[in-house]
Amino acid sequence: MRQDYLVLKDLTKKFGKGDAVVTAVDGINLTVKEGELITLLGPSGCGKTTTLRMIAGFHTPTSGDILIDGDSVNTLPPNKRPTAMVFQNYALFPHLTVRENISFGLKVRGDNKEEIIRKVDEIMNLIGLNGLADRQPRELSGGQQQRVSLARAMIMEPKVLLFDEPLSNLDAMLRVSTRLEIRKLQQRVGITSVYVTHDQEEAMTLSDQVIIMKDGLIQQIGAPVEIYSHPCNRFVAGFIGKANFLDATIKDINNEQLILDFMGKEIIAPHWNKSLKQGDSVVIVARPESVIIDEPSEDCIEGTVINSVYFGSQMLYEVKITDDLIFRIEVADPQQHIQYSAGIKVGLTFKDRSLHILSAKEGAL
Amino acid sequence: MNKKKSGNTSRVINFKKLLREPVLLLSILIVFYLLTVFVIFPLFQVFKTSLTFEGKLGFGNYIEVMKKSYYIQPFINSMILGVLTATIGTFIGFIFSYAITRTPMKGKKIFRLIATFPIVSPPFVIALAAILLFGRSGVFGGMFGNIYGLKGLVLVEVIAYSPTAFLALVGVLRAIDPSLEEAAMDLGASRLRVFRKVIFPLATPGIVSAWLLVFIQSVADFGNPMIISGDFSVLSVQAYLQITGMYDLPRGATLAILLLIPTVAAFYLQKYFLSKKSYVTVTGKPTAATIKNLEWYIKLPVYSLCVFFAGVVLLFYGMVFYGSFQKLWGVDSTLTLDNYVQMWRVGKGYIFDSLIIASIVTPITGFFGMFIAYLITRKNFPGKNLMEFSSMLTFAVPGTVVGIGYVVAFNTTSAIMPFTLTGTGLIIIILLVFRNMPVGIRNGVAALQQIDPSIEEASIDLGADSGTTFRKITLPMITPAFFSGLVYSFVRSMTAISAIIFVVSGKWNLITVAILGFVDNSQYAQAAAMSLLLIVIVLIALGLIKLITDKLGQGMNSATVVE
Repeated sequence: MRQDYLVLKDLTKKFGKGDAVVTAVDGINLTVKEGELITLLGPSGCGKTTTLRMIAGFHTPTSGDILIDGDSVNTLPPNKRPTAMVFQNYALFPHLTVRENISFGLKVRGDNKEEIIRKVDEIMNLIGLNGLADRQPRELSGGQQQRVSLARAMIMEPKVLLFDEPLSNLDAMLRVSTRLEIRKLQQRVGITSVYVTHDQEEAMTLSDQVIIMKDGLIQQIGAPVEIYSHPCNRFVAGFIGKANFLDATIKDINNEQLILDFMGKEIIAPHWNKSLKQGDSVVIVARPESVIIDEPSEDCIEGTVINSVYFGSQMLYEVKITDDLIFRIEVADPQQHIQYSAGIKVGLTFKDRSLHILSAKEGAL
Repeated sequence: MNKKKSGNTSRVINFKKLLREPVLLLSILIVFYLLTVFVIFPLFQVFKTSLTFEGKLGFGNYIEVMKKSYYIQPFINSMILGVLTATIGTFIGFIFSYAITRTPMKGKKIFRLIATFPIVSPPFVIALAAILLFGRSGVFGGMFGNIYGLKGLVLVEVIAYSPTAFLALVGVLRAIDPSLEEAAMDLGASRLRVFRKVIFPLATPGIVSAWLLVFIQSVADFGNPMIISGDFSVLSVQAYLQITGMYDLPRGATLAILLLIPTVAAFYLQKYFLSKKSYVTVTGKPTAATIKNLEWYIKLPVYSLCVFFAGVVLLFYGMVFYGSFQKLWGVDSTLTLDNYVQMWRVGKGYIFDSLIIASIVTPITGFFGMFIAYLITRKNFPGKNLMEFSSMLTFAVPGTVVGIGYVVAFNTTSAIMPFTLTGTGLIIIILLVFRNMPVGIRNGVAALQQIDPSIEEASIDLGADSGTTFRKITLPMITPAFFSGLVYSFVRSMTAISAIIFVVSGKWNLITVAILGFVDNSQYAQAAAMSLLLIVIVLIALGLIKLITDKLGQGMNSATVVE
């Protein structure tokens, strides 16, 4: 297994000329292991799609390098690159049948006819398209079209499989089941994949590594669990999952724990970032599920419920602490807890081990 | 500094990519060569000729033109004609398109058909009909005084070109969401106020652009003024007469340039106004609920005008039909087939030449136009804008200018064109291909823009090169647009006159030139007979191509058949 199967080196893409230059991707570096699925995640305009299209060859990098399996592919046109893409709108050829769509790339390559038929049957079986070979794309459901698009790319056995928000046109239920299937399929075949999405849940459930991008820059690279529990700055913390941000100062540090001061109350948090010193201003990242809501008491942060929404599996509260600070709190399994309605005074405490601390600088980004 | 440098590197990489596709590179170079020789070079030659005064380069001709009313008068006349025709034509076109899109008028299809009739028929048939109706020995002879002159010309051109405004405006009005009207009325505005404050402002860029289109057509028109302008001399006819009558190329070229300037200016203004209409809302299917109960004071004038105009169009064409069967126009109105017999005897050769040339021109124009449309919308290469500009240029340039350009450019051999083309059938074919191509390109560009580029990207991503992608993916998807381009090209090849008249020869002659010849000899009945034959040929061709398109275009985006 190659550790540097796909490498992006100082990859930069600028659009426009003269004064109107927009830097879509700003010198990013990335290494992907063979067989890994990585996700480029970020809000629209963050450069994730541009990066993907540079790997595919549809955009020419302004500077920097793309290496696939050790070879630079910079000057190769898209049709000569060992990549295959699953498009956002599937981009099925409307005048060709499902079989013709899937076999298109093999035919262009000039593969043996019987070999093509065998391979197409095999992949249609694998992906669950049996019996649809002679249909036209417009006779398929959205989910089926999506599968054809996937089959058409996978049959090429590309070195790198590219996904450009492939699930964004499916309805919510189908999206969840399809992304599980994609993940299973990708692991079974062991194909190195780059997946672009703006849906953080999709990124979390699919990937070996998540790459968070913003304004053409990589914010953080890491496994989903790492990114969720230890976001590197305020943007990442807010983009992956929901978060409450509390400005606090460090009162004391011992080996394992930070003792923090927040509005005169003491909060204990795990001590991960060893560069923090006593007296530093910090930002506490408290996930909504890490906040415990209870009757008001001495050591609690006090607040008033301003909104409560019942979701069945969970209860969502908005609790006002001060005029500028409103907490979002999620309580799982609400039947097991007291339910508070708007106007009621409550006390908040934290599940200490789940808190994450950002330095003042990280907290500002 | 830095920014500039990076821009250059990526352009270099673009070019390197192009080098990897030699077929594409070669075909781009060929297209550039052809456009240079057959579009740019003739125009350049017209300019050069117009600047040659008594054997020397200079502005002598222009000074001459400015000094002598003999030359400046046609310019003023053309402008007057253009403004009058455009204003009246756009008004009628607007009322017509309002009736079609915004009222529950009955028989919309018939009105549409009648209104588009002048577009597919030879341009000067209306002038011929006007003579049959109001001429010295016409049915209503003398009713409007002398029909030869500005009055007759405006009448004829309004009938001929208001359909252009109509077609342009139908698109504009249709794109205005009826729910805007409903919203305005819901807020208490009266129908008239809604029209003044909502529809009219939204349609204004479209109206201006329609006006400019009619202006261009009217100023560039050659066939109608040739027949009916009388003493009212206009640029296109004067330029023609200078060259064929006086053998004065420099003066003809100068008049051609005077004709070129306002039309090209109007063309680019029109493109500008068209690009400004972006705020028109397009929201799926329009739900035209409010048009069901329209007030009588709107219906009455709108319907009356539509009926009147349709009646006039029918009267004019009916007159050509009727006239073609009369023994001797104005003298002996016995019905006879003699005119057809005589027309056939004299014009057989012309008809076959026309058919042969049109059937060669049509497919070439179609493929070439589509290919250029593909290059423009889908490929990145240096000089792309220049290619788009020059390939669309012949659309903006009046036929008279193109014709003179071909005469000047291909009378002798030159470095870029080593053969003399004058007098051959080839020059007619080339002229028609390059003159009809812009509409094919525009249709192609429109069709290609509707196709998501990712479909082609998918093909390239799967290993197909540009050529394979074009043949296997793009071409099948733009078939309907391709065929509508063919229709246009065929119709124009059969009915063109203004440019063609300069390049026809004894060996190769065309049906439109023959009709003009009959009119010149006052053989109106034969001219009418031949015009009818031409209309029938065009209608048959339209029907055939529509049949094919319907078969091929099933389930694909259909494009309008006639511009």
